[in-house]
Amino acid sequence: MGLLSILRKLRSDHHKELRILLLGLDNAGKTTILKSLASEKIDQITPTQGFNVKCVNTPGFKLNVWDIGGQRRIRPYWRNYFENTDLLIYVIDSTDQKRFEETGVELRELLEDEKLSGVPLLIFANKQDLFNAAKASDIANLLKLHTLNGRTWQIQACSALKGEGVQDGIEWVMKTAGAKAKKK
Amino acid sequence: MSKHLKVTFQCYVLINCIFWALLLVMRLKRFLLRYYPPGIILEYEQGGQVKTKSIDLLDLASTDDALSIAQNLSLKEPLITQTRIPQVQKLVTKLQEKIGSTGDRQFYLFKVLRAHILPLTNVAFNKSGSCFITGSYDRTCKVWDTASGEELQTLEGHRNVVYAIAFNNPYGNKVATGSFDKTCKLWNAETGQCYFTYRGHTSEIVCLSFNPQSTVIATGSMDATTKLWDVQSGQELSTLSGHSGEIICLSFNTHGDQVLTGSFDNTVCLWDVHTGQQTNTLIGHRGEIANAHFNFDCSLIATASMDRSCKLWDVRTGHCIATLRGHEDEVFDIGFNYTGQQIVSASADATARIYDAGTQKTIAVLEGHESEVSKVSFNPQGTHVLSGSADKSARIWDVNTGECMQVLEGHTDEIFSCVYNYEGDTILTGSKDNTCRIWR
Repeated sequence: MGLLSILRKLRSDHHKELRILLLGLDNAGKTTILKSLASEKIDQITPTQGFNVKCVNTPGFKLNVWDIGGQRRIRPYWRNYFENTDLLIYVIDSTDQKRFEETGVELRELLEDEKLSGVPLLIFANKQDLFNAAKASDIANLLKLHTLNGRTWQIQACSALKGEGVQDGIEWVMKTAGAKAKKK
Repeated sequence: MSKHLKVTFQCYVLINCIFWALLLVMRLKRFLLRYYPPGIILEYEQGGQVKTKSIDLLDLASTDDALSIAQNLSLKEPLITQTRIPQVQKLVTKLQEKIGSTGDRQFYLFKVLRAHILPLTNVAFNKSGSCFITGSYDRTCKVWDTASGEELQTLEGHRNVVYAIAFNNPYGNKVATGSFDKTCKLWNAETGQCYFTYRGHTSEIVCLSFNPQSTVIATGSMDATTKLWDVQSGQELSTLSGHSGEIICLSFNTHGDQVLTGSFDNTVCLWDVHTGQQTNTLIGHRGEIANAHFNFDCSLIATASMDRSCKLWDVRTGHCIATLRGHEDEVFDIGFNYTGQQIVSASADATARIYDAGTQKTIAVLEGHESEVSKVSFNPQGTHVLSGSADKSARIWDVNTGECMQVLEGHTDEIFSCVYNYEGDTILTGSKDNTCRIWR
């Protein structure tokens, strides 16, 4: 995927392709989710220093999924990728209780951005296979998701490592995006 | 008329004639050599103005007789008088020595530059190769010293990815940057000062170029237009509208009076730089255009397309001369060698192919990359091809045998850009791994 392919994915055809942004703090499991979606091996994942893009074919839609590195020093560059986003997936490490506040602040900031206004939001409460994982409903409360106005959202418990829950999330993506496409 | 008056009038006519003759007389000042492609530039004075004229020797072979070439040139070119023949012979010999050198060398990793905190986009050398620039997702463009690997300047100010970059070669004292923030900026390469921000595009800028005179910058955008900007005043000169899809590549011809634009609308358009009018449209590809170039004498255009083919076009008529087939997947890049006799293409099928521009036959298939090849170019000597791939390596190939001569390994993510310097003795690779590597 050279630079040219990236340009092509910038201007995805909204009737056939969905541009999905995968964001979240470092170590939340974004790249693992991306690989799991693309049915690739998930051993040897290292912190993403830039971004990964993969095309996922689903019935009816081609998903262009952009996984953007989550380290603090590169978070200011998330905005580079906001243009033409159809759906935002925000990934949370459900075991990293210490950083729930930090992840909440980052999410709020994202949702305030004009370019992402009205963009449907799916939250993956990842790492549910670990014993100390917080429940999805608790995370929803902590993040005060019920206070979100004018935005379709969903929280989905999952374990990218075990491949559990990811598909359920994607089905919601398809349903939501399908409804949006019809409206267009 | 009195005799006195008659003489005065005759004198006046005579002086006038001498004056006009002087204006028309061309006085040769000096010769300049151009190695790639081989040529001799004549610098001469006419009517008080210094002008240049280029004699292209694209077919020059190292075995040709230099004296007879010099004599031939003297017959055709009034500026080369009989007395100049020995001098021209020496210049031709010098060019032949350059041509004789194959550029054969073993490249080694000279420096790894942790250039940016996010992936690189494009890289470019100045003419002498003493400096180069890198663009990045971190919204900056950096100027580097090739010999020391030292960072000379960080050009900061764009609000999104810096994608397209260029030096105003051959001068190399200015840098233009095109960004996903929809603006183009012109910078002083030495101080890092921003001269102008060119605003007007309504989508990402993805390609740009200075004209050969470095007086105009052309920018191509995802908004389907190309804009021409004045380097001196910072003003927009014209908007080239006509494409129905994103502009993906653009290129000036050697004279700078024509510019071509390639688009995701499957066509290439030709434009008159002075009037901003569209002069021709090259229609025939069934997929998006990936890249397009003029050959050096501007008689041909080669295009690469997502329809898995390349095409060769006659610039004058706009007709397709030939379709270059063989690739089994999308073609991403294409280039002529400096003399325009060969064409190289790079494809998602993990190969590059070399074609003869005259016969349009395949000369060699370059096989070895393990993933798609996104960038390809000839070295200035035209003896080797450099390719960059998603398999994280760049490779050097022998044009005659098609054999891989060297694999430049070390990047930890795919290579987005790779270029030779003008001398062909240094290579630059820019990668998604946020680093840039110098090979020499």
